[in-house]
Amino acid sequence: MKIFITGIGGISAAGRNITEHLKSFRLMKRNAGTVSLFDTSLPYPVFEVKSPPINKQINKQKNEMRTLSLAMSALKEALQDAGLQKDFSGIKAGVCLGTSVASQLNDIDFYRTYRNTGAADMAPVDRFLKGNLAEAVAKSMKASGPSVTVVNACSSGADAIGVALSWLRNSVCEIAIAGGADELNRVPLCGFGALGILSESLCRPFDKNRSGLNLGEGAGILILETEKFLRLRGKKSALRLAGYGAAADAYHLTAPRPDGSGLEAALRESLADANITPQDVCFVNAHGTATHDNDKVEGIALEKVFGPKIKFLSTKGYTGHTLGAAGGLEAAFTASALRECWIPASAGFIQQDENIPVRPIREQTQINGSFAVSTSLAFGGNNASIVIAKD
Amino acid sequence: MPLSLSPKIKATNREPFFKAYYMNIAGIGIIFTRGRGIDSLGIALRQGWVAPSQTKSLNDQNVFYPAYRVKKETINDITILKKIRRADRFSKIAVLAAWDAVVDSGIQINDKESTIGIILATAFGPHVTTFRFLDDIIDYGDGSVSPTTFSHSVHNAAASYISSLLNIRGPTVTITQFSSPIHQALILAKAWLEEGRCKYVLTGCVDECGNVMEYICNQKLRIANNGKIRPFNFSALSSSVPGEGSVFFLTTLENCQNKYCKIIPAFQANRDTIKKSDIYIIEADGMAGDETSYQNTAPVDVSIGGYAPIFGSMKIISAFHCAAGALMIKKQIKYACPVQENPYCLNVITKTESSKIEQICCIRKNCANETNIIRLMR
Amino acid sequence: MGEQKEMELPEIRKKLKELLVENLSLEDVSPEEIKDDEILFGEGLGLDSLDAVEIVVLLQRNFGIEVKDMKEGQKIFYSIDTLANYVYENKDK
Repeated sequence: MKIFITGIGGISAAGRNITEHLKSFRLMKRNAGTVSLFDTSLPYPVFEVKSPPINKQINKQKNEMRTLSLAMSALKEALQDAGLQKDFSGIKAGVCLGTSVASQLNDIDFYRTYRNTGAADMAPVDRFLKGNLAEAVAKSMKASGPSVTVVNACSSGADAIGVALSWLRNSVCEIAIAGGADELNRVPLCGFGALGILSESLCRPFDKNRSGLNLGEGAGILILETEKFLRLRGKKSALRLAGYGAAADAYHLTAPRPDGSGLEAALRESLADANITPQDVCFVNAHGTATHDNDKVEGIALEKVFGPKIKFLSTKGYTGHTLGAAGGLEAAFTASALRECWIPASAGFIQQDENIPVRPIREQTQINGSFAVSTSLAFGGNNASIVIAKD
Repeated sequence: MPLSLSPKIKATNREPFFKAYYMNIAGIGIIFTRGRGIDSLGIALRQGWVAPSQTKSLNDQNVFYPAYRVKKETINDITILKKIRRADRFSKIAVLAAWDAVVDSGIQINDKESTIGIILATAFGPHVTTFRFLDDIIDYGDGSVSPTTFSHSVHNAAASYISSLLNIRGPTVTITQFSSPIHQALILAKAWLEEGRCKYVLTGCVDECGNVMEYICNQKLRIANNGKIRPFNFSALSSSVPGEGSVFFLTTLENCQNKYCKIIPAFQANRDTIKKSDIYIIEADGMAGDETSYQNTAPVDVSIGGYAPIFGSMKIISAFHCAAGALMIKKQIKYACPVQENPYCLNVITKTESSKIEQICCIRKNCANETNIIRLMR
Repeated sequence: MGEQKEMELPEIRKKLKELLVENLSLEDVSPEEIKDDEILFGEGLGLDSLDAVEIVVLLQRNFGIEVKDMKEGQKIFYSIDTLANYVYENKDK
């Protein structure tokens, strides 16, 4: 059964929509800066979404979490792209979105007050209870199919797309909103800082002198439809979600399996799922966080599966690591690159690391192929691979 | 003779190779307030209602928060937990339930073949650890927080531990949802199995109590002062008692020797989907507040069960009711309801006794008044 | 100076052992059972990369020491002795 990608939406520090992202990619614009969204003593550069309309929509009195606003912004663009104007009333529509921050009850002010006095205002709790990402989006879209939030750390967005694929193939729903969203938040900033994997300078994915990741925020959403539903709507699409593979490292809570076999398994499964060989893949949008471990392991796996000449890049040099949004954003970028027939330079890469058997592209590159892959790796050892096709 | 896993199905342009009507439950693991394991569940169902434990409020010594907590000794398994020394309580509870489900099934895991997937559902995640991390930020500052605590505050840490302890290398996903987490997990498990993505799925859930959560429950819910959840009152102002625990099912399309029963999840069901069953388990646990809509879901002429008073109130309670239902089908015993107040004169099960049970229907209404059901069949 | 070091080092070692056992959840071993030349990573106590970054935080909180470069950390964290020496040389700077 063919599953089509009919709409793409994305918002991050690199742009409020896909068109703006492509412009940032062409200009190699990296919109990082110090944290402005909250108070912190940490000096790390981050990739915040600064331009309107997001800042106007974030209104605490509206009781809406920032992550949800980011998701709704990307969704609006994806729906327009798909030619879907109305909500999904009466349609068996699924919503599967990945996130990390929005799934936690982590309001520091709430907790500090509770700790000091044994009582606290319930408003942050109410926000949290209404804010399960997929359920909130499903409610706003009047979607009557399944709605699930995937919380698989950094592979959440990719895994959410994989879940939606399973749903569509198994007729659990006919159309699905899939992807991920995450806001920049003090909790993961502190946590990643403590793990020693944040860089004090702009991140350099796959580079010999990489020194860690930069956090970012954003949302990336795909509209996925069965062929039958698309035909009923009288529409067509050249882009397909062709395959998905997922495998666990079963190794360590925070370190990836050193031989890359988890990611290798996910990659091979996704290719088999799409019924293609590695030679059919014209490029890979890699996870490429710029941490020492991730890039080394990912490079090893990419070389094993695709050989040393595979064209690949990391877009995290433009967006930062958007955690739960990453898989969704990068799937959107991959689909968009196939459609536009070019891939951006891997921002931040200068010199190859002799311990990594492959190197990303240094310049914007024309591509002419039918299949591309987007990979995601996560704390906890999740590995995900998505295959996107252009017919 | 335990079954071993056959090689992973080669995925080629995956489509459901057949549209399976149901999955099989090959094994069950459970950790709850009354103990660990399916035998503990049977004993608890026979024993009936027991009062919850009480925690003192932080700001008023005269206020107590009742809850059905997992006891310390229940999760004191040094042999297994020694290998995951850093794991927090949330992860330990999930790991033991998942481990037990695999052992209960009798299936040998072959670590060379990634034929098992994991789906873990949680409503609130490891909030106790999240708050401990917030303690660090408040007490020590942004630059001096514990990376170990942070690593455990992410929702997928528990599934990661299950994966590494059992050497499970198939697809692994943690999902969070408030309205129908168990049904969504089971629906996804069935989709994975039909796709041939894996041969078995460890499908389960975990949620925990904690000081902050108990305070929140007391603010937002009506708490049953005498500790009794009343599943059949169908009140507009129903009362709850928070619970915690974990249940895992090893689900498969394979026909296994020792299987419990078949399982068919459905969400947003209507009256037509609720097929005639021998027993209906009403999953009212007080959390929804207004439970009047349960009135129309329970037919008057069939046996009615409701076991929330044993487990406590949880968003994930459907899994506990399924475990109870699966046990009833396997043993062909219907268990007396722990709290039998029955103002609507339903045919509530009042006595534990042998019974011919072919099908059980578990009915759960959520806050949006949607009906989600799980059917269990012999 | 040498005498002061000889006096303070045992205290530092003891404190480090207690901190490691408590904060790294080392349930199999008591602080008294850890030898002074016990290797921390791989063999010996069998600590891993997550423990390493946790130790960095413990040094910060308990001795006011910042370990800036984790590559430097490999030498410092070799054994209880090397760690104790490092603490002595750098505490409260």
